[in-house]
Amino acid sequence: MSFLKNIAFKQKIHLIKDFFYDFVLIKRSIYALGISLLFSFYVLQTSTLQFEISATLKEAGFASEDKNILGSSAAQVFLGGSGGEGSDDSFNDFKSNMHSYAMAKRMWSQGWGSKIYGNGDLNPEYFNAIPKKHKTSSKIAAFVLGYDLFEFYSAHDLQAYIIRSFKVSKKRGSSNITVSALKSNKDFTITFMSATILEADKYAKEILIKKSNEVIASTYKQLATSKNSSISSALGGTINSEYYKIGRLENDMPFHIDIIDPPHSSEYPVQPNIAAIIYSNLIIFLVFSVLFSFAQKHKEDLW
Amino acid sequence: MVNEYFKIVDYGGTLEYYIFELANFSALAFPLLIIYKLGFINTNSFIVWLALFFSPLVFNYFLFSPGLFGDQFMYARELIAQKSTLDSNEITSSLWSSGQINSVSLSAKILGLIPLANFMTVTALAFTNKLILFLTFLWFKGLFKNENENEVLLFFLIPSLVLYSSMALRDTLVIVISIIFIINLIRGRALLPILLLFPLAILKIQMFAILSLYLVAHLIFQAHRGKYLFSLFIFILTIITVIYEEAILSTLNLYRVAFIAEDFVAFDGSRSYQAWNLYGAEDVEALRIQSMFEAIYLSVLKLPILLLMPMPWNWSNIFYPMQSIESCILIYLYLKLSFDNKMYENSEFILLTFILLIGLSVYALIMANEGTFVRYRFALYYPFLLGLLYLARKSSQDTQIFHQRTPSN
Repeated sequence: MSFLKNIAFKQKIHLIKDFFYDFVLIKRSIYALGISLLFSFYVLQTSTLQFEISATLKEAGFASEDKNILGSSAAQVFLGGSGGEGSDDSFNDFKSNMHSYAMAKRMWSQGWGSKIYGNGDLNPEYFNAIPKKHKTSSKIAAFVLGYDLFEFYSAHDLQAYIIRSFKVSKKRGSSNITVSALKSNKDFTITFMSATILEADKYAKEILIKKSNEVIASTYKQLATSKNSSISSALGGTINSEYYKIGRLENDMPFHIDIIDPPHSSEYPVQPNIAAIIYSNLIIFLVFSVLFSFAQKHKEDLW
Repeated sequence: MVNEYFKIVDYGGTLEYYIFELANFSALAFPLLIIYKLGFINTNSFIVWLALFFSPLVFNYFLFSPGLFGDQFMYARELIAQKSTLDSNEITSSLWSSGQINSVSLSAKILGLIPLANFMTVTALAFTNKLILFLTFLWFKGLFKNENENEVLLFFLIPSLVLYSSMALRDTLVIVISIIFIINLIRGRALLPILLLFPLAILKIQMFAILSLYLVAHLIFQAHRGKYLFSLFIFILTIITVIYEEAILSTLNLYRVAFIAEDFVAFDGSRSYQAWNLYGAEDVEALRIQSMFEAIYLSVLKLPILLLMPMPWNWSNIFYPMQSIESCILIYLYLKLSFDNKMYENSEFILLTFILLIGLSVYALIMANEGTFVRYRFALYYPFLLGLLYLARKSSQDTQIFHQRTPSN
């Protein structure tokens, strides 16, 4: 065990002891710990409570039935994925709808913008004229470059708010979708999330009904001019299937998603993490005090 | 259910983020101070490593968004899932191998073994990378005389190494395992390299293939012992390549097409495999390499590009010019170490360089995305560079000992 002799354990342990007596177990460390507690208290007092609000949704079967499954077989080959592109389409459609401007516009017209940016008054004359505050840097940039900033809040701001606030995710291989947000105002967020989810689904249905109606109208035109019986029969089939689609869409059942867990909040705030902040500050202040004492004593060696 | 288990929260660049990560920095700075006090490292190393331990705080959120290296979140989520639920994250396990161990979960398992103050944000994993790199530095410098410590330190200050080890990525693990593998093999200790092949096979299959070839050349053919044995190794390798040409080409073609497909952007803005499947798949035949001669010809053409990339016309962010300069410096260092110590006469060096060239040639054949392959190239090149440094200094130490023992005339 010659290499153990080389390490000279006794001498090293003695050095470590000296190190602790010289730099760690000193008054300054106690002051540092005290200051760290005060600082932690300040951080906790100034931070905003953030609750996790989440909803669990399941992809409804209707949407994927109506779709042609086109898609990423290459990804499947290369990644060994388990498929399920149809359900991915449904998830992507739902996510796109939820984050779209058209959706935000519908939510805006229902007065949600007023609840977020104003006093909650549902009168369109009020919520279409809520003055927008801009940062000084934005004002300077607008002045220098010569463009106008929006005077009032609009559906664009609501869209940005939805995108920023609500994370829509889906684990690969699972059909469950999670919509989550970290917010301080949990009651409002629960209501808003619920409304957004339902409106996104409703919007998707309305688009599809509109599409089907257009297809029916144009197919009827074709049918009127068609003289070939097989073509007429195919056109008739198309009309039937579009009416069937409309029949399935014109009800209160969800189209893209089924709600498994409606939006709900965590019991305790996720942020700030009290224990982690106090513990981290203790370490920081203690080690920085040791580093400071060490640098003070060995400044000649270090520089 | 909410709060069913701990979830990673994106603290962004908030005060809480800096508190958590400064605690991690402190947790590394304290043992560093003790190691310095005990005389294991000199003052230069102490100051430099203190700065290196601080560097993760400078990159993520401060200099750029961690989204620039988006994979970081995958590793962070996996590690948090493992620590809080003792189970792998569903996303990563089902993506690759349906619950079996995969590169992400193994990386997270190894990185999670490092005792840090906390694992609250994505940057925590970068600190574990730093500690692993520091331990490698201690081990590596222990192989040299004390006067070489500053030189060894300089090799740990290469910008790409500083950058990748400041991220929550698995590159540092791959680099460190490869360094230990190569140095131990050069020292004639084969057991550890054989054991290291297992994690390497999961973490980076390409490195596994390249280093396995090195192991076979070293252990079975003893190709590092002389030119004849090296020639025999090349001869057998050529025969095997000819026999298994079809299998080798089909593997190369699979990766070649996969990397091009991953990087594919269609005219309508769609990307990656989905876009490739719709618009690019018809060009597959044109991309396929048909023979081994074509593979060699293409790799010879593309090798300089791989070594020098990112090329100026592809610079799209601030790191690219820096990486471009670094590429030249890395080539210069390899050549300087080779010529200064007349390493080209050393059989071990010839084998080492041959294996490096084979690895680089394979990368040259399959390269697509600049950013990805700059990372891949570095993870391959750097361990071989340190191998060469070890070889060069060892041979100069041997020469010194020889001169000391030989009485002067």
